Amino acid sequence: MGDQQGKQKILYIATHGPGDPERATLPFVLANAALAMGVEAVVALQGDAVWLGVKGTAEHVFAGGLPALGELMDGFLEMGGRLLVCSPCIQHRKMDPGSLVPQAQVVAAATLTGEILTAKAVLNY
Amino acid sequence: MQADKSLDCRGMACPMPIVKLSKAIKEMSAGQVLAVSADDPGFEADVKAWCETTGNLLKSLESEGGIHTAHIQKT
Repeated sequence: MGDQQGKQKILYIATHGPGDPERATLPFVLANAALAMGVEAVVALQGDAVWLGVKGTAEHVFAGGLPALGELMDGFLEMGGRLLVCSPCIQHRKMDPGSLVPQAQVVAAATLTGEILTAKAVLNY
Repeated sequence: MQADKSLDCRGMACPMPIVKLSKAIKEMSAGQVLAVSADDPGFEADVKAWCETTGNLLKSLESEGGIHTAHIQKT
């Protein structure tokens, strides 16, 4: 793996929560693959996807044909994936930031825009 | 083909075979060969893409009875 490839970044914007397990899981499938290929992966949770960042939630999300989201989330974080959570989205849902997994970073629009501008590709789920 | 390490990823869904082989390769030395078996239908294409992207060498890729076996040499 060359250094140049190691610096590439893909940003996955997730907008589906536990109510749509397949769409909630797919960004983490791709992000795990990217990390395994030496590519930096960032998942940004927006809308109902912010629930996926709550401790203990991912473990209960299962989509047919895909690994359990809990396994994917654990692997994503272990391999150095960064998890961003939309600040206004959690405020709207009256969520306590302390309920999120410790690796989650609560961000607002300007931070996410910066991530978009520095990414090689941005995928929206 | 002989391998220095073997990894059984049968029964694992995408992307876990790639994730597991990536972790296994990291623990190996340059020149060593990893044998990986998987029954995920996408594994053949995935292991080719993984090797192309990471620069590791795909020494062989065989399929029999729905089981895909790849030999990968760490570069």
